[in-house]
Amino acid sequence: MNKLDKQFEQMMKGINIDSPSQGFSLKVMERIQAEVVVRKHSLVEDYQPVISKRTWIILFAVFIFLMVYITVSSPETTEIKEPGIWSAISGSLQKINTSGASGMWQSVTGLFASIPAMAYLILTASLALWTLDLFLSRFRHSTSEVQIG
Amino acid sequence: MFVYCKQMDKTDDIFYIEAVRKGNVAAFSVLVERYQNMVYSLALKLLKKPEEAEEMAQDTFVKAYQKLNTYEGKSKFSTWLYSITYNACISELRKRRIEFKSLDDRQISDQDEQKMHDYYRETKKEDQEKYLNLALSKLPEDDQVLVTLYYYESQSMDEISVITGLTVSNIKVKIHRARKRMYSLLHEMLKEEVYSLL
Repeated sequence: MNKLDKQFEQMMKGINIDSPSQGFSLKVMERIQAEVVVRKHSLVEDYQPVISKRTWIILFAVFIFLMVYITVSSPETTEIKEPGIWSAISGSLQKINTSGASGMWQSVTGLFASIPAMAYLILTASLALWTLDLFLSRFRHSTSEVQIG
Repeated sequence: MFVYCKQMDKTDDIFYIEAVRKGNVAAFSVLVERYQNMVYSLALKLLKKPEEAEEMAQDTFVKAYQKLNTYEGKSKFSTWLYSITYNACISELRKRRIEFKSLDDRQISDQDEQKMHDYYRETKKEDQEKYLNLALSKLPEDDQVLVTLYYYESQSMDEISVITGLTVSNIKVKIHRARKRMYSLLHEMLKEEVYSLL
């Protein structure tokens, strides 16, 4: 800034700039708070769960059906027809526990071994989606939370 | 997140911006109080009508609140806020197809400018402000904004460039010409006053 600029700056600093009407700040804050309420409301209303209730019911029904089917047809199905991950694990567990294992343990492992690996995969995937859904739901609600006043 | 690395003070804009981001909406009122006059003043210089300027100033603050998460702190908050104001006003004026008048070439020399300044200093305080505001109002709207931002608000040429989108060299020329023009206008006004006293 040269001398003339500085002199002009001094002059300009001496003036009073225009100011809005009384209560301007209040009006702005009212608009902002209305905006906050609308945004919060719409976030909660617009929120769609990752997995719908209908899908949950279908998944649950399929799983229950699978469990019941396996339990009912256990005498035949306990004989492992298809070698899978779980059958391999339970088979090895059975070998380890054959000496001191109780009949109950054998029946439990037999039951679990008879469940196809696909059922476990469905269960794991469903639980993962459920956890993700829960997390997203909480995250979205917490970001829309604002303190008013 | 912020470029400014200085310690956050309670009086800093950043302190309140962070508070708003954390969910304390009321903290935004401090920023409104702090910048309402300048935002309104800029809007008034461009739009001319007080009611429209006030509406625009309100819209600016609401928009600033909505976009607060996009403010990265690369420039001062005031610069960012004034750029929202300026752009909103320019869009409004474009809708109305109003073009800024350019300054005419009637300018005074540096020596006359100095004489004018000395004469101005001798006039009464209340007259100084009256004539200065009058001279400022006679400038084209965008020049009024540039002069106010540079001389009153002490925004740098670079910051004004961010606000207006004009190049620094263009701003420099415009401010120089606007200052000369204002002195010229002041000269005319004060001369008239002297004649009226005689």
